[in-house]
This record gives sequence, structure tokens and C-alpha cells, in this order.
Amino acid sequence: MTEVPKIVYDRLRAALPEQAHPDADLLTAFAEQALSGAEREGVLQHLALCEDCRDVVTLSLPAADTTPPQTADENGVRTTVPQAESRAPRKLSLAWPTLRWAALAAGAVAAAAVLLVHPGKLNQATPPSVNQQVATVAPPASSPKIASSSVPLSPIATSPTDHSAFLAKTDEAQPKSELQLSKRLKAGQIVMPSPQAESGRWLADNKKDSGQADKLSAPTDRARAFGYAARSSQAGAAAAVSTEPSAEDALMARNETPWNDAPAIEKAKPALQEREGNAEQKAQAAAVPGPAKSLSRLAMSTAKLASPASPTQAHNVTWAITGGVLQRSVDSGQSWQDALHPDHPLLCYASRDEDVWAGGQAGTLFHSANSGVTWAQVQPTVEARQLRSDITHIEVRNNEARNEELRRDLRYDVRGPGEILLSTSNNEIWSSADGGKTWAKK
Amino acid sequence: MPKPAQSGQGADIDIAAALYERSGAAAYDVSAEQFAAILDEILRKYLLQSSAQSSAQSSAHNSAQNSAANSSHVSAEQKAAFCAALRLEELALARACAAGNERAWQDFINRYRQKLHSMALHITRDGAHAAELADSLFADLYGVNARDGVRRSKLVFYTGRGSLEGWLRTVMAQEFINRYRKQKRTVSLEEQTEEGVQFAAAVPEPAYASDGTSDQRLEAATDEALAELSSEDRLTLASYYLDGRTLAEIARTLGLHESSVSRRLERLATGLRKRILAGLRMQGMSHAQATEALATDVRDLQLNLRSRLTQDSGGKPFPGR
Repeated sequence: MTEVPKIVYDRLRAALPEQAHPDADLLTAFAEQALSGAEREGVLQHLALCEDCRDVVTLSLPAADTTPPQTADENGVRTTVPQAESRAPRKLSLAWPTLRWAALAAGAVAAAAVLLVHPGKLNQATPPSVNQQVATVAPPASSPKIASSSVPLSPIATSPTDHSAFLAKTDEAQPKSELQLSKRLKAGQIVMPSPQAESGRWLADNKKDSGQADKLSAPTDRARAFGYAARSSQAGAAAAVSTEPSAEDALMARNETPWNDAPAIEKAKPALQEREGNAEQKAQAAAVPGPAKSLSRLAMSTAKLASPASPTQAHNVTWAITGGVLQRSVDSGQSWQDALHPDHPLLCYASRDEDVWAGGQAGTLFHSANSGVTWAQVQPTVEARQLRSDITHIEVRNNEARNEELRRDLRYDVRGPGEILLSTSNNEIWSSADGGKTWAKK
Repeated sequence: MPKPAQSGQGADIDIAAALYERSGAAAYDVSAEQFAAILDEILRKYLLQSSAQSSAQSSAHNSAQNSAANSSHVSAEQKAAFCAALRLEELALARACAAGNERAWQDFINRYRQKLHSMALHITRDGAHAAELADSLFADLYGVNARDGVRRSKLVFYTGRGSLEGWLRTVMAQEFINRYRKQKRTVSLEEQTEEGVQFAAAVPEPAYASDGTSDQRLEAATDEALAELSSEDRLTLASYYLDGRTLAEIARTLGLHESSVSRRLERLATGLRKRILAGLRMQGMSHAQATEALATDVRDLQLNLRSRLTQDSGGKPFPGR
């Protein structure tokens, strides 16, 4: 970035705000792009001069903002009328950036393909003959996809045919590489699943029992966990299954969650709207060296595309324990359903995103990774001693060090599994940093 | 536009009823009148500042009459649009909590208690501080600090302009900044011993301040060039160069694309340089003099920036100010 003369720093620094700080409401509305006209200008003026308020605005940006950035003019004055009018002719020129993204994305995919071929660890499941295909087929197959996936950059309304074209293109290419497989899987709910027997099996398995996948991928947000799982197993961490199956399992399980009863095509639609963001991510992946990073980066884009669960849906779930029974409400507390009714009364619960833990008498501990759709009982054990006393409090903490690491490596804001802390009636504290697989006592 | 007061009132009442309906405030035992009063208070705060002399009790339709009388500062349509853009449901929840409604508070806890902790962790990046920050905010939200027997919840200040979650994050960030600044003042001695050795030379007034007129001209030219910038441009410059924010952070703050921010910074940096040079030459400097005055020693600059950034915000006045 071009440096500015020293005096510019000095004078920028020297200016002090004259008015009082804008209140928290205005700052929030500003950060959420909900202000316009004079109000926005007023806040901008203050922020230009006030370091404290700039810090506040930056610090209060949401932790994981997955909304694709708005496309705005260079000048960014989206609110003024003349600008809005002058934007119309620009629409045509957007074809170029589109192509540019496509080229970048194609490069990213090519890089990932090459990297897939080289480190032997990654593609054990792939027959040797496939390697050649990966390298040759993947780039051309993916570039038309990216090109069409960038369509929303132009303001033309996306039509259903557009979607199917996108999916058809994905599916036309018939290589058997893992890379293609995962791509096809993201479209797989709509178009025919891959003719490959193996992926068909995965699909079938998961339709039968999505809960199984939950156990495979304990981390909270499974869409994100995908990237995490891919990475952690490469790193030799404790993920019990090989990279690709577990990742795909998570993916499919997500699509099968019962509360989303709409037809598959309907489910994919909102996801497809994220294409712009994903194309960009893929392009950015090119900047991240190393096989693990490119792969998990791609994997995450894939996961995002395939995940139909809207964040609002996940966040509206509220929990309560009444008479030892865990209850769930998906309409902000208007109505409640029993979510979990184990043998022993429940005493406490904790939730983070879709990860829910509920604990009760005699060491009863249940975990759901999908907001209570499926549950698995967890038996905390340390050195062959099982937790038998009552669990009185549960806390799910962000494992910030781990998240930081993920963020740095993936250049993307993700959250790994949180650290789970249990307090018991005999004043012990049990903790697990890996989503309940192993435990430590404090 | 002169409107018959009667129809204006009717419309207002209809709108108020619709807003009340949307907010779901009834579930928290907030009456339509109470909710209207809350909306009125918010309207007054943000929209009717100019006609603020109207008495505190005047309700929505009353002030509509007022505004119609004094050639309508704010039309009924504007008010309706303003209210419709508020986060009514979250507003109802927050205000019901502040009023001590048990059910509202339960909902609030269910929705935000857990989030408060992750927010705090995101802000502080440190488990112990996060717990402290979240707990103290939670206490403020509940209104533990009771004065004359009445607990005052911070939630009465929420006005629904942005999301409640965003507001909580902002309030938390403000609290964090306040504490952090305070703390920084108390530990600054340690910092000085750490940093002071290396940067001792930078602490005295910057050297250029002594050499008189050319410097004042430079300042004037720079101020002029900066004054020509839009607020958004200036904010972008300050965030990037002073605060060391990333392009992504700036882009998210302004709702732009990262690449736009990058391009804008390039444009600003080159533009500023040109403008300052032009300003200096307007004041009678030769091209060579002007260039020299602007010449930047990068190390010097880093040093200077560092020393400026480690100053307390409420510290010494800056030169020339």
C-alpha cells in the first residue's frame, strides 16, 4: 500500500472530535449499514476524528460475518441518489470482474488439484489412475461453474434455470476425483448423486441416520466443522475417520436434518445465493499456500454451499429445563416442545450455536450438535473413572487459541469446537477440549 | 403539507397499532400506550430534535399536530417509515426487561446470555477478562446498581436502531475501551520501561515542530488537503494508517468490498500527496522545497506513529492544536 507522508499521520492524529460520542444505538446501526443520509454522515464525521469510537465499531463487528460483502461503488456513497442513478451504467462493466474472479477461481482450483495429487496422504482413497484426471479435468470443469456462479455479481435477477445450469455444469464433468466428488455432492441433492458406488453409499448411510454423522463430526457448526475436520485429521489429530468420508458425512447429514422438510431443490436455493461469496473465497484460496489450506478452504466453500440451514433458524432456538426435562422452542418462546427426557432428571444445559449440552443427576450428559434434532449420551471418563455425581453446571467456552489458529491458517473466521466445562455436585470440574471425546478433571 | 388533523391522528393510531402488533410487546405485558410512549421517546431523540421543546407528555399524535403547525419538520410518513425500520420486536424485549418483566428477562437470558460470553471473548481475546466483562455488562443490563431502591437497567437505552445483539456488542466494546484506556494509564510505567528504552528519543516534541515557518505551511497545506476529503475517506485513512486496521475490517465497517477499500486508499494516498504539494507551492514554495518538506523517512515515521499511538487518548495536546 502506498505510504502517506508523515505529516498526514500527524494531522490526522491531531484532529480531535468536537461533538459528543454517538450513542451505542447509532454506532450499531452504522455498523449494520442501517443509517442513511445525514445520520450516517454525522457518524462518519465523528468516526473520522475519534479513535475510541473507531475502536468500538471495529471491536463490535460480529465474530463470524458470513454475509457476502455488498458490492458498492468505489466511492461507497450508496445512500445518495445521484450515486444510485450513476450505478446503472456500471452494471454492464461488471462482466469484467466476473471474468477476473472466474480466472482466479480456476487458478485456485487448479492449484488445489495439483496439491491434491502431490501429498500422498490426502488421496489414499483415490485410485492412482484418477490422479491424472484430477489435474486435467478439474480446472476446465470448474471454471465454467465459477463463471456461472459469479452471475449474482451482476444485478440481473437469478432465475431457476440459472441454478440448474450451474448444477448441470457441475455435473457434466464426470471425473472421479475427490475434488469433483465433493463438488458434485454439494449439488448432489438436486441432480443425481454421483454414479460412483462409494458416494452413493455415503448418501444412503446418511439418509438412514444423520445422527451417526453427528458423532463423526462433533464440532459445533457442522458446515464449518467440515473445514476443521478436514484439517485436523490431516494434522494427525484425533478425528476418528478419514478426511473425505467424515467431511461428506457431515455435509449430507446437514441436508437431511428433519426440520427442513422442503424439497431438496428448495433447500439449495438459499445456499446458492451465497455463490458470490464463495467464488470469492475460492479465489482467495489461491493466495493461501499449502495443500491443507487450499483443500480445507475449498472444502469450506463446499460446505457452505451445501448447508441450507439459515442462521436465523439456528439462532431462534431457545432452551429451558422444566421439571428435569429439556424443552426447546423455535419461535422465541411462544411454544415449547420436550426435546430430551432421559431417565435421570436434567439440571442444567448450555448451548452454543447448534451445539447443545444437557446434564443432570448421576452423571447424565447428553450432547446434540444440531440444535437438539438428534442426541447422543456422553459418558465423561477420566482414567477409567466415570463421572457419576450430579452435573450442576455446564459451560461451553470458545477455545479462542484454537480459533485463532484456524483463523490464521484458513484466513477465514471459523470456530472450532468449544471447550466444555462441567461442574459437579461434589465440586469437581471436568473439561473436554475436543467436543466430549476425551476429558480431564480439574 | 397541511393535512386535516383528524385524519392525521387516525393514521397515526392505525400505524401505532400495527407497530405494536408487530413488536409482540403484548406478550411481555407492555401496553399499547406504553409502547407508543417508547416510540415517541425514540422519535423525539432521533427525528424531532429540532422541535424538542414540546413537553414530555405529548404523545405521538400530539407532536404530529405540533409539527403540522410549525410547517412540519417531520412528516407523518417520515415518522412511520422511521418507526417501521426499528427493530420493534427486540425493542419490546429490551424495554420489557428494563421494566422488570419476568418473562422478557427469561427470553433475554435464553437468547443472549450465552452470546454475551462469546462476544466478550471475541472482544477481549482472553478468557478471564471476557468473563469479567460479560458479567459486569450482564449486571448493568439487569440493573444491579440500584439507586433509591429502583434498579436501572441499561436496556432502557436501547432504541432499536440496530439489532439488539449488535447493540450489546457495541456497549460491551465501549465498556472494554473505557477499561482498557484506564488500565493503560495505570500500567503505563511498565510500558515505558519496556518501550521507553527503544523509543526514548521519540518522546520529546517531534523535531520538526521547532523549525518554524516551513513547518507551519506544511501543516496548513496538510490540513487543507485533509479538509477536502469526505468523512468516509478520512475515516478510511485514519483506520488504515493510524489504527492499523485491516482492509477487511474497514470494508466491513463501511459495507464495502475489500478491493474498493484498497483502491480507495491508493487513490487517497497519491491524491493527498499531490494536494499537499500543490498547497505548498501555492504558499510560495518551490517544487524542490515542497518535495523536500514532504520527504518521508519511513523509520522516522514508524517511530513517530508508534509514539503517538502509545500516548493516552486524553494525554498531551498535540502540536499546533
